[in-house]
Amino acid sequence: MNGTLYWPAQRQRNRGLYGLFAVVLAFLALYAYLFPGLLSVAGVSKFAQSWLPLALVSMAQAILMLTGGISLAIGATVSLGAVIAATTMTGPLGVPGGIAAVAVAGLAIGAFCGVIAIRLRLPAIIVTLAAAFIIAGMALLILPRPGGAIPGWFSDRLAGNTPDALYLLVGAALLWKLYLATPLGLSLYAAGENPVGAYRAGVPVDAARIMAYALSGLLSALAGLFIAAQTGSGDPVIGQAFTLNSIAAAVLGGVGFLGGRGTMRGAIAGSLLLSVMINVMFFLGFSPVAQYVAQGLIIIVAVALPEVSRWRRAV
Amino acid sequence: MKDAKSTRFPPWRPAALLRNRAFLTLLIVVLVWIVAGLAKPGFGSYGHLRYLLELAAVIGLVAIGQTYVVIAGGIDLSVGAIVTVSAVGVPLVALSGDSSGALAVLFILAAATGIGILNGLGVAYLRIHPMIMTLAMATFLQGVLILIAGGTAISAQNPLLAWLGNARLIGIPAGVILWTAASAIALFVLHATPFGARLFALGANPIASALSGINVRTNTMAVYAVSGLTAGLAGVLVLGMNGQGYVGIGDPYLLASIAAVVLGGTSILGGSGTYAGTIPGAILLVTITALITVVNASAGWRSILFGSLILLLLLLSGRDSQRR
Repeated sequence: MNGTLYWPAQRQRNRGLYGLFAVVLAFLALYAYLFPGLLSVAGVSKFAQSWLPLALVSMAQAILMLTGGISLAIGATVSLGAVIAATTMTGPLGVPGGIAAVAVAGLAIGAFCGVIAIRLRLPAIIVTLAAAFIIAGMALLILPRPGGAIPGWFSDRLAGNTPDALYLLVGAALLWKLYLATPLGLSLYAAGENPVGAYRAGVPVDAARIMAYALSGLLSALAGLFIAAQTGSGDPVIGQAFTLNSIAAAVLGGVGFLGGRGTMRGAIAGSLLLSVMINVMFFLGFSPVAQYVAQGLIIIVAVALPEVSRWRRAV
Repeated sequence: MKDAKSTRFPPWRPAALLRNRAFLTLLIVVLVWIVAGLAKPGFGSYGHLRYLLELAAVIGLVAIGQTYVVIAGGIDLSVGAIVTVSAVGVPLVALSGDSSGALAVLFILAAATGIGILNGLGVAYLRIHPMIMTLAMATFLQGVLILIAGGTAISAQNPLLAWLGNARLIGIPAGVILWTAASAIALFVLHATPFGARLFALGANPIASALSGINVRTNTMAVYAVSGLTAGLAGVLVLGMNGQGYVGIGDPYLLASIAAVVLGGTSILGGSGTYAGTIPGAILLVTITALITVVNASAGWRSILFGSLILLLLLLSGRDSQRR
């Protein structure tokens, strides 16, 4: 990252994202207008807390999509993370042990999916679909019905009136920057863009991809841990909606399905757009039903917009 | 002169059958049925197998469209919602003077096809990725459905549906006959018409097929329309078998249809595969579910077993689908 090339490279990556950033800002402005309380420490904290889980799973999905993979097991992994957190933290392991258990479980499950999909050359979409059943089953075995507990001080720390969630998110983004500077991180884009070419150039393609799966599992499980801290207990099916939302956020953020295309900042902005949208619709008094309809329409419009504008340029 | 014709296809070899994935899947189904029939008396009885086929018919119908879309290089995540639309919609559009109920069914099938065409419009003209387009469509439909139907189950008073769900012709359920007929048409269209050939071309290489004069947009719209139609047909059958429709009735069929397609050896990347493999794939899925129910385990273990079995079958039948 030496000086002269860094900013031009960043500008290049931002290209095509300005439209998204503008839409996100517009929605944020609308939200702040509807709900002036947003512009306070408490308001920001609450909003960051509702955003963080979606942001984490969007990162988890984006990492995989950048390498040309995809995961349908994200929701199940979120549930598993929540369940493990709710059952271990009040036990003998304590909070640090609980966090470690969630992290290890996420990494192990992600790596397992990765090894099967990459080493055995099976299509990712169907491997992770099968894995989703297995992971959801494990979550149900650990905690058949909502229950468990998170120590009160830990919940207050993460989901109280402090913007800790925002710090965590910034931390995650910084760690991603650091990861991109490691050999495996550098291989990530190459493995997604042109796996054969990258392999011939000596890039550890398989290792980069399996690592992406492991990191994706880790992020999803940690999202589950945060949700458990938020709700104060564990629920074995709480993560279900996250699978599809993570894909939607990543695609809104310009991450392509074929690998090598897109940026993490785009995926995070996409998740921000989704979560602001849900909040704004809630404040406008949309019924949950109308929210479904609007969400479907907005996703289509947002994704179709670049194509429509290209038509107009062509005419 | 004579050999000019015979070189069109490779000569027949029995060993080639063992490399045919559709046949392998069928073989697995037969093996599972025999083993389960011996281990668990009653599993192999005619009545039980017939019941399994009836359940497989719904998955099989949804999977016709899914097979087409996947072969053409896409994926349809809205089939579950379309099944629900059709199962909830038929009782809602009960028209006066429509004593047989056929008009309502035709109307809903047209609506389902229309939803499919909308999917195709988004994919072909707006160039939205199929996964996102159909996902957004599913979200949209879910909202509309709750708006229209609410949380209650709606009973159907439709003679045609009652017949479809309960009638037996020479001992064979009407649903299975419907599935057989639909399968025959689907296989014919896929393997013996220009449209079918275009689907394989589209899935294998969209740019090359566009350059060779295939109208990519029209064919993409047609393939999603077929998917909407077969999902609608499956919804009608589900309604006939259940007697009532409710929001969420179609949800299980989304993943089941994709799993059936992949277990049947169709490449999820498009360009290769056959519906002949999807048929045993659908039967296999239903059989696995039935076996797991027989084992009488907790919900968690059932889910783990189901996922592991799919992974295992994938290892047997789905190997080189990424190695083209």
